[in-house]
Amino acid sequence: MADRDVMKFSSVKFRHKVPAPKWFNPFKKAHGAGIAEIDLTLQRGQIVGLVGTNGAGKTTLLRMMSGVLPIESGYVSANGTILSSLELRGRVGFMPEHVRWSGHESVEQTLVEFALLRGCSKESALEILTVIGLKNRASSPLDSLSQGMRQRLSLGIALLGTPDVLVLDEPFNGMDPVAIDAFKRLLQSLARKGIAIVISSHHLFELDQLIDTLALLHRGQLVAHGTTDSIQEKLGFEQLTEVCLDSELPKKLMHGLEILEHSSTDINHHMILQSVRKNLLKDIVKSGIGVITWREIQPSLIELLCAATGLDRQTIGMDVESSAWIPMRKLQEEEE
Amino acid sequence: MTPSSRMWKLAISVFRRRVLSTRMVIMLPILVLFIPGMAWGFSDPNIQLPADQVPETAAETMFLASIGIVFAGTMAAVLLAHDGISKDRQSGVLELRLSQPMPRWRQSMILVIGNWASIALPVTVLMLISMWLVGYRSDMWISASDSIVFVLAAWLVLLWYTIFALLASSLAKEQGSAIAFSIGLWFLFTLLWVLFTTLIAALNGVAVGESKDASYSVFEGRLDLLSPNGVYHHLLETRLNDVNRGVSPTGAVLAALAWTLLPLLWFTRRIKRLVP
Repeated sequence: MADRDVMKFSSVKFRHKVPAPKWFNPFKKAHGAGIAEIDLTLQRGQIVGLVGTNGAGKTTLLRMMSGVLPIESGYVSANGTILSSLELRGRVGFMPEHVRWSGHESVEQTLVEFALLRGCSKESALEILTVIGLKNRASSPLDSLSQGMRQRLSLGIALLGTPDVLVLDEPFNGMDPVAIDAFKRLLQSLARKGIAIVISSHHLFELDQLIDTLALLHRGQLVAHGTTDSIQEKLGFEQLTEVCLDSELPKKLMHGLEILEHSSTDINHHMILQSVRKNLLKDIVKSGIGVITWREIQPSLIELLCAATGLDRQTIGMDVESSAWIPMRKLQEEEE
Repeated sequence: MTPSSRMWKLAISVFRRRVLSTRMVIMLPILVLFIPGMAWGFSDPNIQLPADQVPETAAETMFLASIGIVFAGTMAAVLLAHDGISKDRQSGVLELRLSQPMPRWRQSMILVIGNWASIALPVTVLMLISMWLVGYRSDMWISASDSIVFVLAAWLVLLWYTIFALLASSLAKEQGSAIAFSIGLWFLFTLLWVLFTTLIAALNGVAVGESKDASYSVFEGRLDLLSPNGVYHHLLETRLNDVNRGVSPTGAVLAALAWTLLPLLWFTRRIKRLVP
């Protein structure tokens, strides 16, 4: 295990039990969906984005990582030692997807209670209040907290006892853009302190800006894992460049260029180019053409997921725009 | 801080939350009405009871008044603990609790101790008041040993119902089912058990309805070992004179032990395997 490696999941597997009633055994259960044998290594300070469609197994995998669900086969190790479920829970801080905090207890009392469960001091729980920005709401009852504050409280609990790994399930849900920005900066500062972070989110744009490693999950299997660049390369994505110029590109510069899209107005010329040669930008500037935009286009996470699974958007379940199955309502017709 | 002291602190916090809850405020008058109220009624010197029964000792009066604990105490225990797990499961807090590095058996003990203590404390206070009321009204004072047995037996029956309610709460996916389970069980043991006993006795050819029939008494006494309320009464009967329902004091204590350990082990095992 490399020095930077903080935790290693080796062939970990879990299957949900689903009701499969028979007439002679109405309580019979059968194996349902779950996580196939997954190998994943987490490194210090790494932020791993876990992406997959609904039902891909993201929450199941995160629950396994945090010791909430048992690992049926395979093992988790740290520094070459296999961890028990209890040891795993001691090293991982978990923030579940939905925690609807309610009751008359204060934020401080809740944090102190979880500090006791985690085995850390009251003082460390109170310090967390500052980290999550709830110090001035310490005595507020849980009922009075906004959704964003509740999310921050859940994060605070995950941070108790300075875990090696932070597992966050859909942390941006219900947060406003300002809170999301603050949250992301907090996560980045935690990663700089060496905490490995695994984060699942449907806010792909937010995730794209935050993560340095991507794990694509589909039907309980890890279909791709690595940096965005390495996954792109592995999946055969060509580098695309978006160019916007103030005048038409001369023919000599267009030689050998593969233009995927082209649109022009009186004031600018917009193109999407594939596999741009090395000195193109230099040549354009030399020829006296004004460059308004020059940007490398990264494939979106959805595109990566589609490429990794070989399925299209509709099949994979990301495309919900189609409304063909909804019957059209006749207009100007009185209802009976 | 040791793991045990952390466990006790957390149990106290569950206890505090429960004992100061709105539910307790609602149930307290009912408990007052049933526990000291029953003691007040049964200690009336001019009381007319069926079959010309007259309580001759303070222990007998407290035995009759124990119906208040069977009805109100156990019901309050069920109502306090029924959402011990289902509420946390629904809100997502359970997932967070289960991800903490405290062994699951300790987490189950926190729930049991915290919920049980929250009903055991008011019931104990009301029982002590009842004992004083009986002494004050009838001038028959209960002995220290009898009062200890009566309080311990009440603690046990409350513990059993607390564990049943928590078990139901862990089995149910939502609070409605949890309360239906718990109340259903309470209903079975508190109200339907007589019907059940009578039916089984009749099927076995025992003379049902003849209150002085010894064979029915023995049959009922043995069948009562299968009910927590029955075992509670067997424990109380160890302090009464001239009661023979076919179960020795040792048998009653062993049954109490079984009623304590088996559900407790089941509940601990359930929490160990609990999936949020």
